[in-house]
Amino acid sequence: MPEPVVEVDHVFKEYKLGDHMVTALDDVTLTIERGVFLAIAGPSGSGKSTLLNIIGCVDTPSRGRVAIAGHDVSGKTPDQLANLRGRNIGFVFQTFNLFPVLTAAENVEYPLLQMPELDKEDRTERVSAMLDMVGLGKFAKHRPNQLSGGQRQRVAIARALVTHPEIVLADEPTANLDHKTGEGILALMREINRRSRTTFIFSTHDKKVIDAADRLVTIEDGTLRLLGIRKDGQWITTPANRKPAPAAPEI
Amino acid sequence: MYLRERIQEQLKAWLEVARLDFQLALRNVLRQRRRSLFGLVSISGGVVAMLLAAGFFEWNYDAMREGMIRARIGHIQVVKPGYLEAGEADPLSYLIPETAPERELIEAFPAVEIVAPRLTFSGLVSMGESTISFLGEGVVPSAEEKLSGALRIVDGVDLSGPKADEAMLGQGLAQTLGVGVGANVILVVKTSSGGVNAKELRVVGVFGTITKAYDDYALRLPLKTAQELLRVKGVHSWLILLDATSRTDSTLARMQEKIPTNDLEFVPWHKTATADFYNKTVSLFSKQVLVVRIMIALIIVLSISNTMMTNVRERIGEIGTSMALGVTRRVVLRRLLAEGIVMGLVGGIVGAIAGIVLAHVISVIGIPMPPPPGMTSGYTAGIMVTPGIVLNALAIAVGTAFLAGLYPARKASRLNIVDALRQAR
Repeated sequence: MPEPVVEVDHVFKEYKLGDHMVTALDDVTLTIERGVFLAIAGPSGSGKSTLLNIIGCVDTPSRGRVAIAGHDVSGKTPDQLANLRGRNIGFVFQTFNLFPVLTAAENVEYPLLQMPELDKEDRTERVSAMLDMVGLGKFAKHRPNQLSGGQRQRVAIARALVTHPEIVLADEPTANLDHKTGEGILALMREINRRSRTTFIFSTHDKKVIDAADRLVTIEDGTLRLLGIRKDGQWITTPANRKPAPAAPEI
Repeated sequence: MYLRERIQEQLKAWLEVARLDFQLALRNVLRQRRRSLFGLVSISGGVVAMLLAAGFFEWNYDAMREGMIRARIGHIQVVKPGYLEAGEADPLSYLIPETAPERELIEAFPAVEIVAPRLTFSGLVSMGESTISFLGEGVVPSAEEKLSGALRIVDGVDLSGPKADEAMLGQGLAQTLGVGVGANVILVVKTSSGGVNAKELRVVGVFGTITKAYDDYALRLPLKTAQELLRVKGVHSWLILLDATSRTDSTLARMQEKIPTNDLEFVPWHKTATADFYNKTVSLFSKQVLVVRIMIALIIVLSISNTMMTNVRERIGEIGTSMALGVTRRVVLRRLLAEGIVMGLVGGIVGAIAGIVLAHVISVIGIPMPPPPGMTSGYTAGIMVTPGIVLNALAIAVGTAFLAGLYPARKASRLNIVDALRQAR
């Protein structure tokens, strides 16, 4: 039985915009199994970023239940959520979001500073391994402004993975990169996914990026529309109808 | 042993956290050079102003204190118990021997430069038709050369020896009597037996001290002459001069420990009646310095909080990112406060160096001052920057910069992560 790493159960997200209430997520139910490479697709304003934020515990649902890596997130304090994020979730942002005052190695090391159980030696070892993995071992001492867009995103991927998280969330990870560099980033993420069984969940509206995934969720107007699984290069989709996502294949 | 290792480990972890926080803070401060420079200049300017203001007052306190100690009262007075409280009404009942084994023990202390006996009395001094009251001091002239270093002889010479029939008059007293060097004056006093005694003395010199009220009534004569006049053998006090005023309390404590006696009382300079004016002056002006410090601290807070607020506003995206990566609100708060501390520390150190140099230059040039109340002539003041003043200014710089960062840091630590991340795009 595949193990669920994300459970979203009848989640609503509403917020006030002027005098109107906007429903960003409308009764979303979704279970994501460990090790999948999942694309959340949909047009701009469809709710994919909101869903990603709620899975990433940087936003809280108005109603419904969310569990990440077996931890129910409802009722947790901001510090408990920060701890949950720091230990279980890695983030890759569309605009890379590296700290400009830190070198590539220091950027990768940054999330580890919240883990007091790791000493300097452990941190250095992990950082070095991660930078080698993303092919930037020689750029450890470079500041972000000395790196290309693709290299910055590789540093961001190393930073997301350095804590050995259960899930990596990537919000349109290739949107700010040229086609070739974007393909390279996707290939790198896919390879890490296959090798480490880390769950990757990314939002996109780019068809080429969707085709790199092995699972698909489409969202429109805050509602899940289709759940897809890729078999023999073809998408087999079913209407979401608030049913759990299909099981992960054996990897 | 286990506990010690745990404490060492914890301490090491804290130091590592502090190192990382301050390293990050320093880099962020250096990032916006022009803005940080403006903040640093505000802090440095404030520290310079604090050093100069406090240093000017300190110079005045020092001049007043040393003038008083080295012209009149010494660092420590040894008297008969009760003399300071009741001696004025019946001074001749509070005599101590001129020499005693205790005095030899005192003289053996390394910090002691000299021990000088004093006999204090009052009476009437006459010259022709003029007769006025005086405050007399019988002194040992050779000892007073060191002890009364701050006493200025404005006319004539010092007393020549311990038995000479000579007197030195305070400037005001000489003026009131209308006498000068070479004139003869007659002193009339009440003796220990209750009778009246008189002696004619030649005025060999006129002196001035920092206190006009003292100079208006004081006269000095050799100790033996004073003892003959009063028909007594003892003295009222032994005045002890130390090599440094700062060693007063520690030397006093050691003396009290090493010379256990119920017949003598050791009184530090700051507890004498003469020091009362100095103590009150310091208390009054210290309040004024405090007001200056508060005003400067407010200026630092206002200028730095604006810089810090702009820094936080520009880095909302980064703060959101760090929170998404698992950094807690408390750590965000701590790291931003560290930036305030770094600014306060750097600005404070730069300001302290500039202030010390400037104080030295101003002191070399001198600040011409008019005669203050109770003094007859003006003087040239300087600026005395002590380690205490520097540490105080640094503490205020760091403290105010920390306070200035409190609101922006708290605001940043309470950011909504989603909104903050949106700003990073």
